[in-house]
Amino acid sequence: MFKNPLLIIALAITGVVALWGIIDTQGLAAFAARLVGIQFTSRAWFIMLTVSFLLIVSIWLALSPYGAIKLGKDDDEPEFSTLSWIAMLFSAGMGVGLLYWGTAEPLTHYLLAKEYEGARGAASTALFITNFHWGLHAWAIYALTGLVIAYFSFRLGCPSLVSSPILRVFGSNKITRSVGWFSDLMAIVAIAIGLGGSVAMGVFQVKEGVDALFGLQDTGMGLTMGIFIVLCLSFILPLTVDLSKGMALLSNTAMIVAGSLVLYLLLVGPTYYLMGGIVQGFGEYLGSVLVHGFRTYTFMDDRVNSWFQSWTLTYMVWWLAWAPFVGVFIARISKGRTIREFLGGVILIPTAFSIIWFGVFGGIGFFDILKIDSPILEVVQNNLSGVTFYVLKQFPLSFLTIAATVFAAFLFLVTSVVSAAFVLGMFSTGGDLNPSTRVKLSWGLVLGALGLVMILSGSIDAIKSIIALGALPFVFIVLLLVVCLLKALKLEKASVHE
Amino acid sequence: MNNILDTFMNIEVFAFIGLLIWLYFKPINPDDSD
Repeated sequence: MFKNPLLIIALAITGVVALWGIIDTQGLAAFAARLVGIQFTSRAWFIMLTVSFLLIVSIWLALSPYGAIKLGKDDDEPEFSTLSWIAMLFSAGMGVGLLYWGTAEPLTHYLLAKEYEGARGAASTALFITNFHWGLHAWAIYALTGLVIAYFSFRLGCPSLVSSPILRVFGSNKITRSVGWFSDLMAIVAIAIGLGGSVAMGVFQVKEGVDALFGLQDTGMGLTMGIFIVLCLSFILPLTVDLSKGMALLSNTAMIVAGSLVLYLLLVGPTYYLMGGIVQGFGEYLGSVLVHGFRTYTFMDDRVNSWFQSWTLTYMVWWLAWAPFVGVFIARISKGRTIREFLGGVILIPTAFSIIWFGVFGGIGFFDILKIDSPILEVVQNNLSGVTFYVLKQFPLSFLTIAATVFAAFLFLVTSVVSAAFVLGMFSTGGDLNPSTRVKLSWGLVLGALGLVMILSGSIDAIKSIIALGALPFVFIVLLLVVCLLKALKLEKASVHE
Repeated sequence: MNNILDTFMNIEVFAFIGLLIWLYFKPINPDDSD
């Protein structure tokens, strides 16, 4: 392991970020915010253009004759049934985020939008924006990154690394090797920092859940740290043994719990209102999603601009940060599927599920505000991590639903950290499909330390800036990978015709 | 934001987009490898 410079440099960079954060949390957060602020002001147009481009390329690839190409040899068959493939896609990309933001995000947008559009218009705008953040654009980023990795690994037999497409298409020389090496490094850094942020948000949410379950108040950092330690202990064991089947079982369990939760709320909540919101949400989303992808809010005031940076742009680079990790995972489970099947499955199904999810959780939030005048907006302003539990408490069997949410959040966290440690181990050892336990544990440790840093920062905004900082270089790398894919596909088509 | 910094950062992006377009249309040459 010590003969691998990529691994050592990647561990060193993430280790320094973690150490800096532990020594001077506010300093790191302020530094990240300043740097990200400059990038977001100057390059907002480029980020939006990039994500829209990725979606348009995905649609074009799926509909073009390239869509029939198999991710694998021509006689390879899919390894998993379509149903379990879809379940695994969900668990990879959805994670703990939907549990956290289900109600909190639409209501946060509502607070700003109602000053511009009035209360009722603001509700549908807020729902639309939330669906936009979690919808087709997000999944197109994952899908294309995953498609590049799957095509080059399974069709062309390259190692599952970010650098493989670059070396394969442009040849191996000094320049391509340096660019490839840098891309691998940036992928590792983006995954590690992104995962650290996710760990922190998940721990905040589990803590709020435990508070809500046992009626605790002002437990402060003690309980948060306790949950963090339990989490770290829980991922040590799966990291030391090969548990690929066990991990699939854990993530599928988390998905079943999350799916049952949303169905239960839809039925016991104001069903007519929620269904109305979901149908309207679908329609508005389908009607404006492509145009909205190009929206940069350039002519709006500073408040809207700063909201745009801290939400839309942050989300888009956040998906980019996760793209190499989720991409590798969805590539691995998709061998033997055609490009069309792959893009359709990865982009459309999770988007539809997200729209239903936010329709239910967001719809309950709007019902509270617009119909029964409950003080839910105060919870949104004062305790973002507690919003989901506030919603659950309104309905029967809340002890059970809160316990299920805490359980699902915890499972999502453990599975994310374990699979990320695996992918990081793979990337940092030249594509070794079975990285050694020592390498995986080193990454587990770094992910834990980064999570701790973000927990200590105590602020979701600081977490978002730090993640965005780690992910920004990946905007460029993903575009380069897409060019590699398009060139390789063109070449394959030409060689078939010869 | 400082206008010179803004200009510089966007020139980088324009150059990158130009590079991508050039790479896309550049014929693949086996001599590119060492």
